[in-house]
Amino acid sequence: METIFADFAHLAAGIGAGIVLIGAGFGIGMIGKGAMDATARQPEASGDIRTSMLISAGLIEGAAFFGLVICILLALK
Amino acid sequence: MYRVTKFAFLLLFLLLASTTNLFAETTDASDIDVTTKIGDSYYLDFGVKIYLPRILISDGVHFFPNTKAALNSGEFTDQFYIDNPDFATADLTPVTYKLVRIDGTPVTLDLSITKHFVWFLIAGFLTLFIFGRLSKKYISGIGRTSAPKGAGMNFAEVLIIYIRDEVVKANIGEKRYRQFTPYLLSCFFMILFMNLFGLAPYGITPTADVSVTAALAITTFFMVNLNGTKDYWKHIFAMPGVPVYMLPLIIVVEILGLFTKPFALAIRLFANMLSGKMLIFSMLSMIFIMAALFGTGVGLASAIIWLPFTIFIYALKVFAAFLQAYIFIMFSALFIGMAVEEHDHHEHHHAEAHPVTH
Repeated sequence: METIFADFAHLAAGIGAGIVLIGAGFGIGMIGKGAMDATARQPEASGDIRTSMLISAGLIEGAAFFGLVICILLALK
Repeated sequence: MYRVTKFAFLLLFLLLASTTNLFAETTDASDIDVTTKIGDSYYLDFGVKIYLPRILISDGVHFFPNTKAALNSGEFTDQFYIDNPDFATADLTPVTYKLVRIDGTPVTLDLSITKHFVWFLIAGFLTLFIFGRLSKKYISGIGRTSAPKGAGMNFAEVLIIYIRDEVVKANIGEKRYRQFTPYLLSCFFMILFMNLFGLAPYGITPTADVSVTAALAITTFFMVNLNGTKDYWKHIFAMPGVPVYMLPLIIVVEILGLFTKPFALAIRLFANMLSGKMLIFSMLSMIFIMAALFGTGVGLASAIIWLPFTIFIYALKVFAAFLQAYIFIMFSALFIGMAVEEHDHHEHHHAEAHPVTH
């Protein structure tokens, strides 16, 4: 019975990591799109745009890492 | 200060050099331990193993110059020899490095010096050494009255000026940025050195260990909260413009927010550094997996695919080393900026931030 639970934990970790990646990839893609649009529209503000792009990318990454940590905890079960 | 740094740096290298001569143990040429690049251990691996001092608290403090000395002292033994008594001989060698007392007294705390700690110290001393020297140069006038001299000084000045103007000044503000620039700059260069160490042969990235990044994040936590203004604490414990019956919920969320910020800081750096290593590790092991599945020839042929991938990821890791050090200090500066910010236009600010309550 215990091994079945461990197997389910591994399965959940794999599926969870995939879903986390979908979310994070979508989010960072949206930021990249926004930053590129904004830079094309206003090239002189590219420095500020890059800074805020990195900040929001970092925040999304942070949220994604919370999910990944849970996946790692499940995988190590 | 500079002399002290130089002395400490020399002392560390002397210590390392002396331990090499005394306790070095040549490893097998065939025995390549790839996990040594990722995991923490009680020895440094430069082709030869240099065992590090063990400090154990178990009914008093026990200090040993290395794991072998601890095993041969008769007080401690490796967990391996407890589980497999047949292997125990007169001259014990460490196997699992998990030390237990022979008489069964539990080990309360293992404060042993580990590989990541040593590399962490090396990064710290390197930062002190390089930038202590650099500051000496600036004090003597080079770089202030004349142009900076040498490639190193020019490169450092570019980074320092960029961080001061674009990160610290932009996030903390004109008034108090001078107070936090030294901390953020040292943080940046120390993290950068730690990130880059792992790309060198025999080098280790201590930032791929969550305890190292947690220590850095805790420092930032204290920098933020010890410098918090009255406004900052007011926004946590009595958020202006929020109805009284909502306050308990808001306070809980804000206090959670205090701790999740440094937690995210630590996890971000740790996960980025570890994932880069794991990626290289997995890419290279694909060659061996292919060799095991389809034969040695296919494995060797597949190296044509996997090696360029590895080199690409390696180059990406150089970029990530700079980026993650930058992001770490940028978020630190952002959090410090939020804590030391002075609200001059109080009412206006809240009318904007909480339009519903007005």
